[in-house]
Parts: sequence; C-alpha cells; structure tokens
Amino acid sequence: MFYVALRILLYDKVRSFITLLGVVFAVSLIFAQAGIYLGLMETSSVIIDHTPGDIWVTSKNSKNFDFSQPFPDPIYHQVLSDPDIQWAEKLIVAWGVIRQKEGGTEQVEIVGFNPDTGVGGPWDMLEGNARNVKNGNFAIVDESARKRLGNLQIGDYRDVLFHRLQIVGISSGVKSFTTAPIIFTSFNLAQNLITYVGSDSTVFVVAKVAPGKSVDQVIERLQARLKGVDVFDKKTFSAKTRLYWTMETGVGFSFLLTIVISFLVGMLIVGQTIYNSTVEHIKEFGTLKALGASNGDIYKIILSQAFINAFAGYLISLCITIISVKIYEMNYMVMAVKAWLNILVLGLTLIMCFSAAFISIRKIKKIDPAILFRG
Amino acid sequence: MKHAIVTENLSKVYSDGRNEVTAVAGVDLVLNAGEVVGLFGPSGSGKTTLLSMLGCILSPTSGSYRLYGKEVVNLDETKLPAVRKKLISLIFQGFNLFPALTAYENVMLGLQIKGITGPAADKRTRDLFAEVGLSDRMDFLPRDLSGGQKQRVAVARALASDSPVILADEPTGNLDFANGRNVMEILRKLARERRKCVIVATHDNRIEDIFDRILFMEDGRIVKEVNDIAKLKLMRELTSSSI
Repeated sequence: MFYVALRILLYDKVRSFITLLGVVFAVSLIFAQAGIYLGLMETSSVIIDHTPGDIWVTSKNSKNFDFSQPFPDPIYHQVLSDPDIQWAEKLIVAWGVIRQKEGGTEQVEIVGFNPDTGVGGPWDMLEGNARNVKNGNFAIVDESARKRLGNLQIGDYRDVLFHRLQIVGISSGVKSFTTAPIIFTSFNLAQNLITYVGSDSTVFVVAKVAPGKSVDQVIERLQARLKGVDVFDKKTFSAKTRLYWTMETGVGFSFLLTIVISFLVGMLIVGQTIYNSTVEHIKEFGTLKALGASNGDIYKIILSQAFINAFAGYLISLCITIISVKIYEMNYMVMAVKAWLNILVLGLTLIMCFSAAFISIRKIKKIDPAILFRG
Repeated sequence: MKHAIVTENLSKVYSDGRNEVTAVAGVDLVLNAGEVVGLFGPSGSGKTTLLSMLGCILSPTSGSYRLYGKEVVNLDETKLPAVRKKLISLIFQGFNLFPALTAYENVMLGLQIKGITGPAADKRTRDLFAEVGLSDRMDFLPRDLSGGQKQRVAVARALASDSPVILADEPTGNLDFANGRNVMEILRKLARERRKCVIVATHDNRIEDIFDRILFMEDGRIVKEVNDIAKLKLMRELTSSSI
C-alpha cells in the first residue's frame, strides 16, 4: 500500500509538489521559530550557564540576570562562612554606555568579575587572556559586538561611563538577549565604573558547594540566614531568567503563536491536497473495498501519503534549517537546533500530516458503494 | 447440488426519515455455478441495487441471501470484506483502474488485497494478461489504453482472485460492439471452463445471446425470466422487422 501511495504522489506531480511545498514552508517556519527562540533563551542565560559554581545569590525579588540590584558586601562574607561552601565569588552585572570612535554612543552590559579566578568571566577567548583585565582600566569585548563597536582591535581605547578603557581581549560566544554588547572588566573596575554599585556592594555572589554536600540544604540554610537576598541554584536562576524573557516580554507567546499558525497552515495545506486526491480517487478506493480490501488497507494508502509528505517535507526543511543555522552563526546570531528539537519537529510534522489525513479517512469510511456503479 | 446464489424475498428500501423508496422489492433468485445470467431493465429498475447487494457492498433491508450456502445478510460490516475477498469479483462500467498504476500494477494490487504476493502473484498476473489478450500492454498506464483494453484489465483484476462469483455492471457500456463482445466472450469462457457464476447487469441487447438466462427487472422486481435466448432474439427481430 505504501508503494501505491508513492505512485499516486508521483503521478499527481503538481499537487504533490504543492503539498510538499506547504509542508516545507510550515516545518521550516516551525524550525526557524523554535530555533531562534531557543537561541535567544540560550543567550539570555549564557553567562549563568557558563559560570562555574552551584549557587547564585541575588538581590531580593530579582527577576533575571540582566536587571539585578546591588546588595551589601557582607552578604558575600556570610556566604563564604557557611561550612559547606568551598568558594564564593562576587560578580557585577550592570548597564553602561560606551562612546564610539566617531562620537556616537551604545548601551553596553558590563560584567565585572574576579580575574584571578575567572568566575563569571569569558570562557572562550579568541584573542588575549581573561586575566589581562586585572589591575587597570582594561576590558574584553565579544567578537559578536566587534563590528557594532567600530571594529575593535586589541589595544584600542574606548570611553565607558566616562572612563577610558583599553581593549585587552576578544571573547567568543557571549551574546546578550537584549542585543546590547557585553563588556568584561575586573570586579574592582566595575565597582568604580558603576557608581550606584559602589565599593561596598556586589550584584551577585556565585558560590560552589563542597563536594559531597547537598546544594539544596545549603540554599535552604543560606536563605534562612541571609536577609534581603534570594538564593538559587544555578539551574533555577538560569530557568528564571529564561522564563522572565519568555513571559514578561511576550517573546515566548509570539514565537509560540507563529509555531501554532505554521502548524495549522501546514495541516490545512496537506489536509486539503490529500483530501482532494482522495476525492479524485474515491472510485478506485471504492473498487478496492469492493474487491475485498478492508478500510484499514485503504487507510494505509492515505496514511502512507501523509507519511511520505511529512518525511520528505521534514528532510528538506532540516536541510534549510542547517543552512539557516550556519547563516545565523556567520552573522553572530544564535539559532539553536538541538537533537531533541529535531525529534520534536519530526513528531510535530507527522502529527500535522496524519491529522490532515484524518478527514480523508472519514471520507473513505463513508464511501457510498453506489458510486462504483456510476459509469 | 449447492447453488451459487440463493435469495429469498430480498429487498432494499431507502429512507430519509420521511420518505421511503423501494429500490428492490422481494427478489427471489437461484443462480448456479457455470451459468451466465443477464440482468436487464430500464434505468431505475433496481439492477444496480440488486447487484450491490449480491456483491455484499450494500446491506439489504430484509430478506435472505445465501452465498454458496452461507447466509450473508446479517453478517457484521467488518466480516463482509472477507466474504468479498473470497467469493466475489466485480467489474464496473467505469473500469475504476488506478490512473497512477500500470495495468500490471492494477491487477497486482487486486491480488495483493486477496493476500497473494511475490512470484506467485507475478505469474498469476502474467497469465491473466495472456488470458485477456493484453500481454503486450501490461506496462501501460490506463490513460494509454483504449476503453476495451481498460475493461479487459478490469476483467483481469476481477479474475485475479479466482472468486466463484463474478458480478459485472454494464461492462460493455463504454465499449464499442467488437470490444464489448470480446469482454463478454471472456466472461462466458470463464463461466464454462472455470464454473464461475457470472451475473451481468446491462442495457446492451447486442450481447444477449451470450447469456444462458435473462432476468428482466422493473420497479425493483424480477418481472420476467427468459431461458430460451434464441427464441427471445428471434422474437425481437420479428418485432423490429414488422415495425
């Protein structure tokens, strides 16, 4: 029956092409939307995910990584004093302005980290070393922001919040969800640059729990001891940040809406063409029934048509998506297409096409035998 | 001797809730293996409905229908395909061949439905094409075949299962005289040589000499049965010459 389905599809070339085009259009759009969304979510928590440590201490009711408020320095010492904490580091994340070479300004996200440990700093350096930001007005920019900041090179100078900084390194893979370039400096310099943080405050404390100790128990203990802050494990804070951008900005809903619309459009196109093909072949299907074929035999033909459309459409869409991912990468944008997403989209495509075939199956079920006898 | 088909008071009434239309009203039939029976009658006389019921693709409203001794009227809808698969072959005026499949593949599909596959199916298909005289057209698509050739493919498909009962609805309706005659000769040969019970619903007077018996239908009933076809033909000729 699979062979019959294939032959019908190959025979109705124009119709099959339109169906396939519909599937490719819908599936590519689903892939693109899901991939871009996941890419954006990855970038929104990229620093949290790449920073070692198990625990993040943030200001009270902090909603995400990008908009946390400073809290007093003693909190850091209180965290460090917990017997089950192996190490703790302070981290500043705040907003600033960089003056371009030609005079314009750009908003930047400044990350101040301890260059001795590298916790919270860049993890993949294209040029220079993360330690180079120590003891001076030094900064590291990401390659994705290089062009935007006037083709920055190592050794170049830029004014950040009215302080002249020298570029000492180029990092890779650090992109902000907000699209503002990220600039890494030493923790001490960040304290000087961002006046509202000041010399006796920090924005985050990142801590590592000693091996063999329970992260949950330490979090519970710290949360009870520390006033005016929240304590999260790394995974929760990362998810909280992603959820913030997904829900609060409406990004998640708009991506979901496009995915749903793509799914429905695809279903409509496949459904309509398979239905038309079924109606066109209704006498032949009826004849098969009259010859002794069960409804199941004929459903196999219809479902095989749906399967062939789904699988071929999926494969073409996957190729388009792989090319799109490369194009995105070349433009320093992130489109995240993971193995699980491939499987999920394949599943969605099959559901889309099989659901579309359902109307045709109903039609087959209700074939009026009288049609067979109408010449 | 076990009869091929026996119906008693077989009826079909169509109803839309308010109105009822009786398509077939109390038909009694006894048909045997090896005979070719013609079902004649004007449009709307109930031929097609009767043929549909005999083909187990339409359930009667009342009456009895025994196919090779087995009562099939009250059979569950899910069991009817198996009955059709084993005992009945159908030939239609419109051929109903899959346009996307070659003549060979159309017949193979018929065999596949009957559960015959592989080399056995291939040999049987080739034999059938030889039998209907289309061995050189097996790889043609239906669109590349003439009406007569298409009908012969449909006959080959119907014969593929080797079912003991062959039901044909206007098999010569879309064919010229020579092709129509050719198809009917094949059916008669099958009845004689393979003891098939062949029932043909038709308007075509030109082929009436093929039949062993002719049943005339009107208003859903069998109103006349003619066993002496030669006499019937002679009467027709006399009537038309006197006019």
